[in-house]
Amino acid sequence: MTLAPPTTAAPAAGAAAEPVVRVRGLVKEFRLGGLFSRNHLRAVAGVDLDLPRGSIVALVGESGSGKSTIARCLARLEQPTAGSVAFDGVDVLRTERRRASRAYRRRVQMVFQDPFGSLNPAHRVEHVLRRPLEIHGHTTSARETRARLVQLMDAVGLDPALLDRYPHELSGGQRQRVGVARALAAEPDVILADEPTSMLDVSVRVGLLNLLRRLRDERGIAMLYITHDLASARYVADTTNVMFAGELVEGGESLTLMDEADHPYTRLLLSAVPDPRRVTALDADQRRELREQVLHPTDCPHGDDSQNACSDKDPVHHWLSREPGREHWVRCHRYTPASPIATRVIAEAASAAGGDDSEPTPTATNAAPPRT
Amino acid sequence: MSAPLLEVENLTVEYAVGDRPVVAVRDVSFAIGEGEVFGLAGESGCGKSTIAMAVLRLLKEPARVTSGSIRFAGEDVLGMGEAALRRYRWRRAAMVFQSAMNSLNPVLTIGEQLGDVFTTHEGATRREARTRSAELLELVGIDASRLRSYPHQLSGGMRQRVVIAMASALRPALLVMDEPTTALDVVVQQEIMAQIQRLQRERGFSVLFITHDMSLMVELSDRIAVMYAGRVVELGAAGRVFDQPEHPYTKSLMSAFPPLHGPRVELVGLADRVRAAGGMSDGCGFHLVCPSDRSDCSTSIPDLREFESGHWVARSGSTGAVRAATTTPVPATNGAGQ
Repeated sequence: MTLAPPTTAAPAAGAAAEPVVRVRGLVKEFRLGGLFSRNHLRAVAGVDLDLPRGSIVALVGESGSGKSTIARCLARLEQPTAGSVAFDGVDVLRTERRRASRAYRRRVQMVFQDPFGSLNPAHRVEHVLRRPLEIHGHTTSARETRARLVQLMDAVGLDPALLDRYPHELSGGQRQRVGVARALAAEPDVILADEPTSMLDVSVRVGLLNLLRRLRDERGIAMLYITHDLASARYVADTTNVMFAGELVEGGESLTLMDEADHPYTRLLLSAVPDPRRVTALDADQRRELREQVLHPTDCPHGDDSQNACSDKDPVHHWLSREPGREHWVRCHRYTPASPIATRVIAEAASAAGGDDSEPTPTATNAAPPRT
Repeated sequence: MSAPLLEVENLTVEYAVGDRPVVAVRDVSFAIGEGEVFGLAGESGCGKSTIAMAVLRLLKEPARVTSGSIRFAGEDVLGMGEAALRRYRWRRAAMVFQSAMNSLNPVLTIGEQLGDVFTTHEGATRREARTRSAELLELVGIDASRLRSYPHQLSGGMRQRVVIAMASALRPALLVMDEPTTALDVVVQQEIMAQIQRLQRERGFSVLFITHDMSLMVELSDRIAVMYAGRVVELGAAGRVFDQPEHPYTKSLMSAFPPLHGPRVELVGLADRVRAAGGMSDGCGFHLVCPSDRSDCSTSIPDLREFESGHWVARSGSTGAVRAATTTPVPATNGAGQ
């Protein structure tokens, strides 16, 4: 038995450069209030995103920025309001209008945030991993199944003896590895990982990130890595996109992006990450200024961009570098976000900073003098 | 030369589960000076929250303090009676809980809940309580009109600040904060931490700061203690421990964080190493992969020994009597340069 991949052969020319998933103008609105309410919340407001083969793309942003909604739209757990999702060049939102085909679901798998909630507590690990093998027709005999299960456990660095355990008998890190193994069982081309490490202990996180990197390198799987942790995105992802209030504000090769952050929101976000090695921290006034620039921009430093003229209405992208391996773009600084989410997010930080006009001083000014 | 505010000495806490008690905290000693920010670092299950609960005498069955002492300004906390305990909690030592955002009562307004602190502990009149609650809210940058709001009407960051205001209402000398900003976004967390620092500077209280976020802890603390499996394995000035950790566990923990600067270097997860070496069998579980020879760690984690002035590391050895960790609060600023 074979499962036909979606029709249309991949275009011969430029096939290598063609991303597995190409998202264009993705919009997702949620209705607020009752059935007849006309109030909408625009969680995702026109996002373009490419997932190239064998590459990890990070989507970073704060809660409410819409990053998880994008993953859920790609996994077809949510129906996008507008836009296109091309999978191998085929717009699946048109060909599979109402719900995703099994073939699509086989090729796009998701790893969830909560390793405690995403595994059925009534089933052993063996069952959790055997089901996708059966559903997607990757096994024909019991012996083959067993062999596949052992392979899967090996692939995610788990002892096959754990197959007979129930989820509650595993640690958080082990459970999340089972979650990854379950996704792998379907032999996907794309893995959507939504905050896969945020509920894990710090030392276990690195192990999971290394696993994702290995799967990318060894199996050429494309991954969307969604996180609020910029340092982990920098570590694991080839390219990083910064999301704010339903829109992407900056993107590029991860190291370049974080070393040369350009957009005020990206700079605000980076400044907020605790980092004892930071050489120069922003003071309260600088942070206030950045918040102001995000909400009420006045000027764009890239006004001389001849290809993409600045605009406060359209989210124009300015390319800062197109050099391969150092790609970096930023949304025009002058663009004013219309979303109420933007105001709310910034207001929250501003209110937390409320009245903090004093100069920041070292933490230890009040420490008692050392005893001699 | 003032005595330390809080002295925890040889504290052992057990959870009596079944017939074999689980030792959550074993023989832990540290002291916090007046006005000092002391960080307790470690992963979940290492016993750091248990210590926080013990300090405020909040441990409930099946947890028991089986040995050791806790002294607050020279007074024995473990021996306090009901009345003394009522005076101690909130007025002298207060706590901001891990899920503080959800620890507010949903059916009472912010004003009622803040006011309660003053009416209950200080016998204030309702009018007095109102005025002081308003002052308190403004202290954390929230408009006094919010006194009439219910918790669900405030954002997560605001609720968190209300809880911090509530904990500092009676000007306690010690504020215990257990993961105070874990559920918040970084941009908000940054502002709240800045606010806590400002408050701490103005009022000079001591802080016992518990978090799994090492970077945040190092930024804020004067000194830190790193815990592993119920024991403190390293204690010293925050910058010093971060820059040059001595204990192999601390080294692994510090290197488990991908950096925000510099080239990408391959990191090794700590649990991976332990697993690769054969799993947690006995002892600390870490001795198996220790780079240095620690054959005597295979049965237990050694006691702390002073490695250099003010810097304590759990390592074995025959010399040097083990005593409570230094009572000297070392300011972070000159700690790193020693």
